[in-house]
Amino acid sequence: MLPERLYKPLRALGTLIAMTRMPAERRHSRDYLSLVLGRRPAWREVFRHFFAFEEMLMGRLRVADGRDYRTTYGPGTADFKAWLENGGRVLIGSFHVGASDLQGCQIGGYEHLAVRIVRQRVGNSHDTDKLAERFGGRLQFIWINEPREALHALKAAADSPAAIVMHCDRVEFSARTAAFEFLGARRLFPVTIYNLALIFHRPVILAVGMPSGPAAAVLHASPRFEPVEGEPRAAAMRRAHAHFQDFLRKLETLLRADPWQWFNFIPMNPAAEVEPAAGEKGGKPQ
Amino acid sequence: MSSDPLITRLKHLIVETLNLEDIPPDEIDETAPLIGSGLALDSIDALELVVKLEKEFGIKISSSEESKAALASVKALADFIRERSGGTLSSGV
Repeated sequence: MLPERLYKPLRALGTLIAMTRMPAERRHSRDYLSLVLGRRPAWREVFRHFFAFEEMLMGRLRVADGRDYRTTYGPGTADFKAWLENGGRVLIGSFHVGASDLQGCQIGGYEHLAVRIVRQRVGNSHDTDKLAERFGGRLQFIWINEPREALHALKAAADSPAAIVMHCDRVEFSARTAAFEFLGARRLFPVTIYNLALIFHRPVILAVGMPSGPAAAVLHASPRFEPVEGEPRAAAMRRAHAHFQDFLRKLETLLRADPWQWFNFIPMNPAAEVEPAAGEKGGKPQ
Repeated sequence: MSSDPLITRLKHLIVETLNLEDIPPDEIDETAPLIGSGLALDSIDALELVVKLEKEFGIKISSSEESKAALASVKALADFIRERSGGTLSSGV
């Protein structure tokens, strides 16, 4: 095995070659960086963005192979830590940000926790197969490429004591969206997790991991959003939207401090044209 | 209004469960598709309805094929529930 001081430059070269072959992703990176930096990014900054993504993928592979990874907890993570210690039927909302995927690996290390992770199956999903194998039945993936099947898989997961982890930043497979302030505009984000919370009476915790050095991350999380029995749907969704907006503000602060950690190399979440009232459907029906 | 009490009950249950406050239950066409066209319910509505129906009628809808068949229309839903409940809902509800 190559030492890291030799391996890292090789990975950087590989990233550079990959980057030159991905014009659409480069454009989306530039668009995002322009928003978060407030200016047109330099070429090396786009490369830094790509390389941060490569580092995350490498970290995922290393953890899937059993390497140690250290997580510390940021302020306001008491509810997340309580869930880690005690378990429970929560919905965890995550984002394609920083070391967030690695938190799933960390969770898999808690032997009293069962977790179902909702994911889109893409070409680089082989590490998830390794993870599922490593953690046995306690960590399973629900693939959302077929939304109708995914909803039944979600229902089955919701009937189990497992926690369900799902991403809350890409609108492409989301049945419900709503508009939130993020990076200077009102943008659409998926809010399906809150609909599921109300249907299955499960609390929601939003969480991301930001890298804090080699093989280390700081976890940032929201307090729990709790469904209240009998609460009118519109009022519940207003609370849900406020909960999500609070976390998006926190996320934006984190990204402004470390802009390279936003791993959505796709068009930025679209600006909202007409926002549906809380409780109403938004986004494309499926 | 339908003379079938199960269909009437289902129409009310759909409106209440999905907060379709602007749709009078009696105006729901019992043969119109529930998903997509018709009431234009989406996948989350379908999921919510399935969870409610399972709880309300003690039935199990365990695959997407079953839910597609059950939610084809209110009439199809009534037939599905009758079949799954072993005919105990065939007269009255």
